[in-house]
Amino acid sequence: MITRSLRDVRWVLTWWTAGVSAFIVLYLSVYGNIKQSPELYGPAMLAKFPGPLRDLMGGLEDMTSGAGFLQTVVYQLFVPMLCIACATLLANRALATPEETGTLELIVTLPVDRRRLVLARFAALVLSLLVLTAVTLLVAAGMVTLVSAGVPFGRILAGHTGVLLIALFYGTVALTAGAATGRRIVASAVVGVWVVAGYAVTTIGRSVEGIAWLKWVSPFHYYSSGRPLYEGLPVGDYLVLAGATVVLALTAVLAFDRRDVGV
Amino acid sequence: MTAVVQTEGLTKYYGKRRGLEDLTLEIQPGEVFGYLGPNGAGKTTTIRLLLDVIRPTRGTVRVLGGDPREPATRARMGYLPGDLVLEERDRAIDYLRFLGRARGGVPAARIEALAERFDADLSVPMRKLSKGNKQKIGLIQAFMHEPEFVILDEPTAGLDPLVQQEFLALVREVRTSGRTVLMSSHVLAEVENVSDRVGIVRAGRLVAVENVAVLREKAVRRVELHFESPVPRDAFDDLPGVRDLRVEGAGVSCTIDGRPDALIKAAARFTVVHLVSAEPDLEEIFLTYYSHEEAHHDHPQPA
Ligand SMILES: Nc1ncnc2c1ncn2[C@@H]1O[C@H](COP(=O)(O)OP(=O)(O)O)[C@@H](O)[C@H]1O
Ligand SMILES: [Mg+2]
Repeated sequence: MITRSLRDVRWVLTWWTAGVSAFIVLYLSVYGNIKQSPELYGPAMLAKFPGPLRDLMGGLEDMTSGAGFLQTVVYQLFVPMLCIACATLLANRALATPEETGTLELIVTLPVDRRRLVLARFAALVLSLLVLTAVTLLVAAGMVTLVSAGVPFGRILAGHTGVLLIALFYGTVALTAGAATGRRIVASAVVGVWVVAGYAVTTIGRSVEGIAWLKWVSPFHYYSSGRPLYEGLPVGDYLVLAGATVVLALTAVLAFDRRDVGV
Repeated sequence: MTAVVQTEGLTKYYGKRRGLEDLTLEIQPGEVFGYLGPNGAGKTTTIRLLLDVIRPTRGTVRVLGGDPREPATRARMGYLPGDLVLEERDRAIDYLRFLGRARGGVPAARIEALAERFDADLSVPMRKLSKGNKQKIGLIQAFMHEPEFVILDEPTAGLDPLVQQEFLALVREVRTSGRTVLMSSHVLAEVENVSDRVGIVRAGRLVAVENVAVLREKAVRRVELHFESPVPRDAFDDLPGVRDLRVEGAGVSCTIDGRPDALIKAAARFTVVHLVSAEPDLEEIFLTYYSHEEAHHDHPQPA
């Protein structure tokens, strides 16, 4: 069952991995220029983005150091968002899409327990995202060495583990919403709203008094507040993400087990 | 002997919409059961309940003595969905192998033999197959693991007549080996030749279960006889079951109700040159049956 799911997504996964890798290569190769003339780029960046927008980009305080640059262009927004999009797509392919097209009907009549079916599809999602993040980790680490950004591998690994965890978290959100409703559009909408709201709360919302407490329900808080690129693996934060993912996956199992399929 | 299907008060509502109401039905091993009804009657709903694709609102369902919710029960079943959708990107052979593995292994030779029988090409991606050819893949997967109980939802849809014959032959073989088949259809003609019994479902309710052999015997059929020389009318008058008698010279025509025995014996006293007996139209009987039911349910007599 797991092999089968992996086979199903092999091309999507290949293309997304290539895309995210290309993105990392492209952006990190710019760092060479910045490093040579930091006095030019640093203030220019700060001037270009007004206050709230700067918040949205994670501050931009420190675009000229290796870690700062890596944090801003790779780990702040683009790479986690791309990986979340890929995770949502893969999660939808696992249950909601086949249910909507109708192929799932025959699958649930196979002598496979429904709970095992969901677990197998979840396992395939984990493995797919592992492949995506492992390859892009190597690409990022390679590029960092190439442009001599001076960020140790351990820190990149810590940052990338966060990418895996947040992508997996949102992928599992999609899987669970899909398992419970059988509707791709519902699953995508839940992820979309939660991503935008969560990201906004931990960036712009940080300085807004009334909504600051909302950060506790934002996955991005656990993703970035530990500053893994500067301070190494934020074990506690990451465990929260992983734990929430496990709870969601179990919810998906129970929800799908009780449902009428294809109705 | 445990019944293959045993339902009691089986009911399914989709929200407020009725899918199936109060179905109580038993199907015995070795039987081919034709499940008939117009579109929207509740055939697919029943079938999905038997396979645990959907769950009953009320009532109980047991299949092969077990709960269809158990994987072990479903392992002994084969299923052709009514609106079959296949994994478009796959080659048929890969898809069949995957299904075979999930069902505990199917010998490659058996898949090949079935493919040859239905003249199905397994090497092309399934999105390139026509409706009829997809249906063949659906039939192969339903039969390939030699299940004890095969459920086919409108199996003949889209099949050309030659493949249809092959399919019916396969159903007969399955019955001969003591296994059980349930097939749904909205036309009786498609199932009457292989079915032992037919059940008719209408607007969510099972309105009749009939033995096909009994039905045939009951059927009215038209018979024409031609003799060598003119025959006297009184030789055929008042024969049991004979109606609408017309005798014109050497020709006799009538309709018979049930067995043709008396008519044959009466005719045997003369020299018969030609005999025509129209196949009884069970369809017509059922339609008559339906319209009675309809009148009964939908237009209650004012009190
Ligand atoms: N998913 C569904 N949601 C709501 N109503 C449904 C659904 N599936 C079937 N029905 C209703 O249940 C009834 C029986 O449908 P079905 O079992 O598909 O009939 P058949 O297979 O005999 O054509 C119909 O009135 C149909 O509209
Ligand atoms: Mg149907």
